[in-house]
Amino acid sequence: MRLFLAITLLVLLVLLTCAPLFAAEAEPLFERLEAAATNVRTVTSAFTQEKRLAIFDEVLTSSGRFAFAKPDQLRWELLEPVKTGFVLSGDRGRRWHGRAGTSESFDIRSDPMMRIVAEQLLAWARADFGWLRERYQLEVLGENPATLKLIPRTEVGFLDHLKIIFAADDTHVQQVEMHEQDGDATIIRFSDAIINQPVPDETFRN
Amino acid sequence: MLMDGLFASLYRRLARRRTLLLIITLFLWLVSLAAFTRLELEENIAAMLPESGTASSDLRLLERAPFARKIIIDLTADASVSTDALIQAADRLAAELPRETFSRVVSGPDGEAGGNLVSAMLGVLPNLFSAADAERLSRELTPSAVRERVNDSYAALLAPEGWALKQLLRSDPLNLRQLALEKLRYLRLVPNAQLSDNHFVSSDRRHLLLLAETPLAVTDSAGAVALEDDFSTAARLVLPDGIKATFLSGHRYTLANATAVKADLWVVLGCSLSAIAAIFAIFLRRRQALWVFLTPVLVLTTAACAVALVYQPVSAITLGFGAVLLGISVDFAIHVYYALRHAVGDPAVALGKVARPLLFGGLTTIGGFAVLLLSDLPGQRQLAVFSVAGIVTALLLSLLVLPHLLPSGAVQIISAVPRRADRKRGGWLLVTVWFVLLLLCGWQARDIRFNGDLRALSLTPPELRQLETQLAQTWGGLHGQALVFSFGGGAEAALAANDRLFERLQTALPAERLVSLAPLLPALTSQAENRQRWNDFWTGEHGQQIVATLQEEATRLGFSAQAFVPFTERLTTAVAPVTLDFYRAAGFADAFAALLFTEDGVTRSLTLLPDSPPVLAALTTIESDPATRLVSPTCFRSEISAAIEDDFLRFITLAAVLIVTLLLLLFRDLRKVVLALVPVASGLLGMFGVMATLGVEFNLFNIIATILVIGLGVDYGIFMVCREDEKSDLGTGQAVFVSGLTTLAGFGALILGQHPALYSIGVSVLIGISVAIPAALLVVPVLSRRWLK
Repeated sequence: MRLFLAITLLVLLVLLTCAPLFAAEAEPLFERLEAAATNVRTVTSAFTQEKRLAIFDEVLTSSGRFAFAKPDQLRWELLEPVKTGFVLSGDRGRRWHGRAGTSESFDIRSDPMMRIVAEQLLAWARADFGWLRERYQLEVLGENPATLKLIPRTEVGFLDHLKIIFAADDTHVQQVEMHEQDGDATIIRFSDAIINQPVPDETFRN
Repeated sequence: MLMDGLFASLYRRLARRRTLLLIITLFLWLVSLAAFTRLELEENIAAMLPESGTASSDLRLLERAPFARKIIIDLTADASVSTDALIQAADRLAAELPRETFSRVVSGPDGEAGGNLVSAMLGVLPNLFSAADAERLSRELTPSAVRERVNDSYAALLAPEGWALKQLLRSDPLNLRQLALEKLRYLRLVPNAQLSDNHFVSSDRRHLLLLAETPLAVTDSAGAVALEDDFSTAARLVLPDGIKATFLSGHRYTLANATAVKADLWVVLGCSLSAIAAIFAIFLRRRQALWVFLTPVLVLTTAACAVALVYQPVSAITLGFGAVLLGISVDFAIHVYYALRHAVGDPAVALGKVARPLLFGGLTTIGGFAVLLLSDLPGQRQLAVFSVAGIVTALLLSLLVLPHLLPSGAVQIISAVPRRADRKRGGWLLVTVWFVLLLLCGWQARDIRFNGDLRALSLTPPELRQLETQLAQTWGGLHGQALVFSFGGGAEAALAANDRLFERLQTALPAERLVSLAPLLPALTSQAENRQRWNDFWTGEHGQQIVATLQEEATRLGFSAQAFVPFTERLTTAVAPVTLDFYRAAGFADAFAALLFTEDGVTRSLTLLPDSPPVLAALTTIESDPATRLVSPTCFRSEISAAIEDDFLRFITLAAVLIVTLLLLLFRDLRKVVLALVPVASGLLGMFGVMATLGVEFNLFNIIATILVIGLGVDYGIFMVCREDEKSDLGTGQAVFVSGLTTLAGFGALILGQHPALYSIGVSVLIGISVAIPAALLVVPVLSRRWLK
């Protein structure tokens, strides 16, 4: 028993001393990702989304388009099986619901839900590790491609952790996995990314 | 003759004890001065509101309007400033404002109104489920609508916000939360405000609203200076270029009025003193004549103490008005001065002769003021005591003390009005012109309007008026709304009355115009009824059909059988009543505190409505409930106007009856009575006619001025009739003329003031006395020659 306790203590001590080392070792990767993101002004891509939710008998697959322009312009648009999405420019944006044919403007300052969504998407698009580190504990799962696990530092209700996989050239996010506490998961895969090509202003208006 | 002998005898007796008399007078005045400095003064305008109606309590209730006691701070940004920068500037300003003057500053709802509010409101919905809600769901939740709503839920789950909405959508696939959230619109105390980062911003995002509280009393003008200084200093320190801040509170009006009165006093006093000095230099000339002008000072302290013996506390407004009325007292002294100066031989005889008209004048004036004792306005009753005591003191001083301080003996006195001018033929032409002018004034006087707006009694500078307009345009009706109070012995009774009110209002007014707690916090009995209605709805045929349609549509879209179990469970699970604490925790503590409060053991729930004629008309059609009370600035103004008008007409009528009765008793000759009334009738008709022609509305201050005109006008008439009657002239014409001039110099100069109170009194006195003097000096002699022959 004494031997077991001693080994346990030893293991704990090793883990505790290694933890900062992990973080310190991760810094070059974050710097690499941030450096790559610094040069990215615009991103456009297609995406597919898989929702594995307990409330559905099957996996829900949808697809759409994504666009980003520095510093704070976004377009997130689902095309199949429903047409819905939003654009954001600064604090203000507009979302639409193609099936109902309706749209409404919003301001992320007065719409907490859209603020959470916009902040997440912008943080990933900009590789804003400052913002991400404030809210998540970052864990490096792999360096090539860069793969990170983000665990919320505070309870945010539904989210257990995020897994983000960057493209081989580090310029953009290639896959986001959102794992919820109840076991549900959403996986978004970005494809056909075009970097730093001019994006018409109309893309961010609707 | 008895009176003449009495006062002549008194004069002779007191002349032998002159020093003792003066010492006693000085002692009494010092005692009254000491008491005067210790008077407890009350500045509440309620003293000038009628007691028998609901005006006083209405004023107190109007002060319970949500923003009546708040400091409203508006930050305005240039187009170049972002909303972020505006919000940051507002936060810095709120932090910088000293807590001694700005004890609490609020920039938005007291908590995150977002977050879990939606699901929380959904949780309490059964308690709020009104008959109108049930009817609406029955109408709206058709099978096709249910399909649409399930489709919406499906689409929302695919959208990014679906990440956070999943649990909510499972609990509420039919968007019943909309029903609950719509009820929050009844809580919009700032109609045009939007929330941005939990701050109140305007729809154009150029304005930001801060609401502050202060421990400083609204009437504290020194505090108002500190408040303005602290605000300017903080704004200068923290606000960047492109952002301006200003604030509105009762203190700014107090300060503006205090500043205006001070500025006016320099102008008015300067003009008055110059004019009085000129009158003194031209007509009086003797150093001893200065005692004449000290009479009102001596009378003021004595009269104030007399009021304090009867009423506690003394109204500061009464004292201010009373001081104006004491302008009458100087006239008595002027008549004594002229009588003694005209005395040939024994001054005691001259004093005896002037005593009669003086006492006549004093008695009629006292009679006029005594009528005010019957007034419905407590302040005017105080005024009656003040004036009666003041005039009695003035009579005693003028007849017993002053003669021993003034010079006597016949000297040539500059005649202001040719003694025999009235004997010329032109006299009748003058009377004819006078009569025609009076007829014209009488005709015009029919249009005189009474203004009960208390704001008309104080000064609102253009910058504050502009700020009021800007705030109203930017934020909606922060002020000036109609208030309906539902009250009871406890919160439950008040809320029950509020529920009844809301039910009736719903049929008469559009929902968006109401601010009420009824949809959010019904009485417990109403909540129980609502819960029962909720159960009945969902267990009823229509409710069951809706649930069945939901299940079918969910299956069609691939939802699992368990997907909406939280929803179906919610429909039948018992919920606890919603309480005030629920809303406090949700971030609405301030709003609920403004709309539900307990004072003096009575709990009141407040409903706000636009104070517009159509809304007020709609309210009159609603069946009245003894547990509700409507108060609105418009109704309040009308009520005060009517009260002032009634009080004024009653005063005029009673004063007329009393004065005529006294004059009949004194003169015992109807012709003399009519002659004595010529100046006062002329003054009043002239005043009403000219004011009506100029469109000057009649307010509380004009009434006080009217009393002054009546008092002085009657005195002029009595003196002139006595002169004609006694066939001896003790300089009466000059005395009337000089006293009229001093009145015009003293009170007519108030017309130069910017403050409405000073201006109102000034304009009335100026017109009234300007007409009464020529009537007394020119018309009375012509008529009396004819009638008293």
